Amino acid sequence: MLKAWRRVTDRRRQAGGDYGWLFNPYTGDEMVAIDCETTGLDTRRDELVSIAAVKVRGDRVLTSESLDLRLSRPARLTGDSICIHGLRGVDLEGGASVEDALAQFLDFVGNRPLVGWCIAFDIAMLNRQLRPRFGFDLPNATVDIAQRYARAVRRASPEIEPSLRFETMAESLGVPVMGRHTALGDAVTTALMYVRLNKSRRITA
Amino acid sequence: MVDVDLSQPPFSLLDDDGRDLVRRGVDLAYYESDEVLLDAGQAGEYVYLIHKGEVAELDTSEPSATARIGHYTAGDLFGAISILNGKSRYRFKAEQECLCYLLPRTLFERLCERYPAFAEFFRQRLSDKTRLMTERRAEGGVSMAGFMLARIAECMRPPLLVEADTSIATAVRTLNDSRADSLLVRQGARLGVVTKTDLLNALVIDGEDQQSLVVEIAHFSLVSARPDQYLFEALVNMTRHEVARVVVIEGTQAVGVVELTDVLSYFSSRSYVVSLQVEQADSLEELAAASARTPELVKALMVQGVKLRFAMDLLAALNGRIMHKAWGFRVDETHQHQSCLMVMGSEGRGEQILKTDQDNGLILADDADWPDCSVEMASFTETLVALGYPRCPGDIMVSNPAWVGRVRDWRRRITRWVEKRDGESLMKLAILLDAHAVAGNTALLDEVRDALFEACEGNELLLTYFARAALQFSTPLSLFGTLKKPQHGIDIKKGGIFPIVHGVRTLALERGIRSTSTLERLDALVADGRLEARFAEDLGEALSLFTELRLKQQLEHLDGINAERDANRVVVQQLSSLERDLLREALHIVKDFKQRLTQRFHLEY
Repeated sequence: MLKAWRRVTDRRRQAGGDYGWLFNPYTGDEMVAIDCETTGLDTRRDELVSIAAVKVRGDRVLTSESLDLRLSRPARLTGDSICIHGLRGVDLEGGASVEDALAQFLDFVGNRPLVGWCIAFDIAMLNRQLRPRFGFDLPNATVDIAQRYARAVRRASPEIEPSLRFETMAESLGVPVMGRHTALGDAVTTALMYVRLNKSRRITA
Repeated sequence: MVDVDLSQPPFSLLDDDGRDLVRRGVDLAYYESDEVLLDAGQAGEYVYLIHKGEVAELDTSEPSATARIGHYTAGDLFGAISILNGKSRYRFKAEQECLCYLLPRTLFERLCERYPAFAEFFRQRLSDKTRLMTERRAEGGVSMAGFMLARIAECMRPPLLVEADTSIATAVRTLNDSRADSLLVRQGARLGVVTKTDLLNALVIDGEDQQSLVVEIAHFSLVSARPDQYLFEALVNMTRHEVARVVVIEGTQAVGVVELTDVLSYFSSRSYVVSLQVEQADSLEELAAASARTPELVKALMVQGVKLRFAMDLLAALNGRIMHKAWGFRVDETHQHQSCLMVMGSEGRGEQILKTDQDNGLILADDADWPDCSVEMASFTETLVALGYPRCPGDIMVSNPAWVGRVRDWRRRITRWVEKRDGESLMKLAILLDAHAVAGNTALLDEVRDALFEACEGNELLLTYFARAALQFSTPLSLFGTLKKPQHGIDIKKGGIFPIVHGVRTLALERGIRSTSTLERLDALVADGRLEARFAEDLGEALSLFTELRLKQQLEHLDGINAERDANRVVVQQLSSLERDLLREALHIVKDFKQRLTQRFHLEY
């Protein structure tokens, strides 16, 4: 309810601005799979480290049309998360500022629907940076691949509670995990899982 | 972000920039099983690189049983030819769910333009690709490969030439001064060789005078070689002729000498040791000990990336020597001139690398007087068993009277076989056609062979029957991928080796070619104009590839790996993508060859 209200006001406010077109309904046949690496899992305090997005058209994952952004080093970059995503402070030297990165990201995804694994987290991270700088939340439709998967598995075998771990999902869908815990790798894997789920074949947990 | 392995050919032919272009330019596509990726006649828009899954290549113009002509799995690449040709000749269908990288046509063309080696890769023939593979293996830290590819010219020393009027004393001094082991003597246009041993024997045993002429003790039957031959061939020749040096001749000029010791300083492997052991063996036990070491020698040669043809030659020479020696131990001198021991089958063709069953026979002269021949032959078979040559399950051995006979018996047999033309007779003809003399009076075998060619000459009907066996087994391309369990593999002996060997054998019979090895027969067929050189070369390479794959598995058997599996079966999924590529191409060549045979010998019905 609150989200819908926000979206309406955002839209009205942006109507005449640079990003007004983002609020138009999408009519194409592409999706964008996204993934963010962050300094931690707290959507209110942790920072973005890298953002990746890759387009999906039909059964193709357009890895040739992908976006892979490294951001400049955030203050909260600590050992724990570095162990996960492998991006050290020095790796982020020369990274883009959050503002530039988000602008590039918006241009890339446009008004296409977004796909992600537990996408709510990524959207929340992005929105926290987006609202103060651009004055709106991402208006795109979203597809959470984890929920899609859970639904498909339950339909096939209702008695099984599906495991929604990223690797488990990839394995049961027969999709190779491409460079786990790099933003682009996870985005590509997510895209593949999405393509695979859209194919009609039965899914077993 | 793509997880694509670009370290294999053809991508290894690009530089880092090129590989980066590929990495950034490819898309990923997912296909359901049975989905058609690229249809026959469709324009090629992408090069497909399989990340996961299996794809079948189908010839839509063929009936479904023979339609499958190729099979691709993870790491394989297809579609490039379709781009080069404009459209695809075949249909590519997913055998299971597939994940492919798609390299767009424009990018592919740009890469071809920028990297000629990359473009060349797709136009290469089998022989070139095999060379690529050998080179790659050689890069893997194999120091010996360099030696194997070394030419004689790189290892010869300048000849020590003396004139015919040189005395023994001068000759010894010359040898000492130049620290050589042998010298060449020129007498008119002839060249002779004198070794240190010869000089010693002349002085000490024969009591020659120091001033007598060196020409008197020289040997004029030289084992010679050309400077551009492989060093390895020199070694083979030395083993075969039991000499320690070959004279290098260019045109009519002696340009150098290759000493065995020189070769050995390059070649510290065991081959020489084994052949030396064979030569020095004074008893059957010693011979058996030497003979038991040949598998180890084969392994060493294979690890070193020796070209299979040379390894086969060396092993054939060694096996021949072992049999010859055994024959010498077992058979009385008087009988040796009246008889000829021949080996047949793969041994006769010199294509047996590890010891397989003994296939041998005996030809006696028409006037031979050898009453207890059959008893002695039975014991000779036992001797060979002791030397590590297992009994032949088909009983093609000298202990079987059906494979022993006087020349006139053999003539009669041949006539009978040619008239009968049933499966068994044809098989026997084929076996006899590969016969190679290893001991005794070789002229007897020539006589029998003449009879054989005479009986078959111009006999089209016989040739047709004879050739048909080459089509007996289907090309295993149709087996690719459709196996219930991939570990069943494809039978390369039936599907690859046999059709080539038998087809070439048939052509050799047609043309009366006397060589027995398939590769030599191919050379002879080219010289005869029966086959074009390019096709013959590809056939030879295909055969070498099959043999090599099989040998690899046989060696694993010896080590006890996968011992329960049939060594003739190759599990496609276990090969590297390049090997698979080669195998696929080789099988295509076999298919082609079969088609030619069908046309030539009218086997359509």
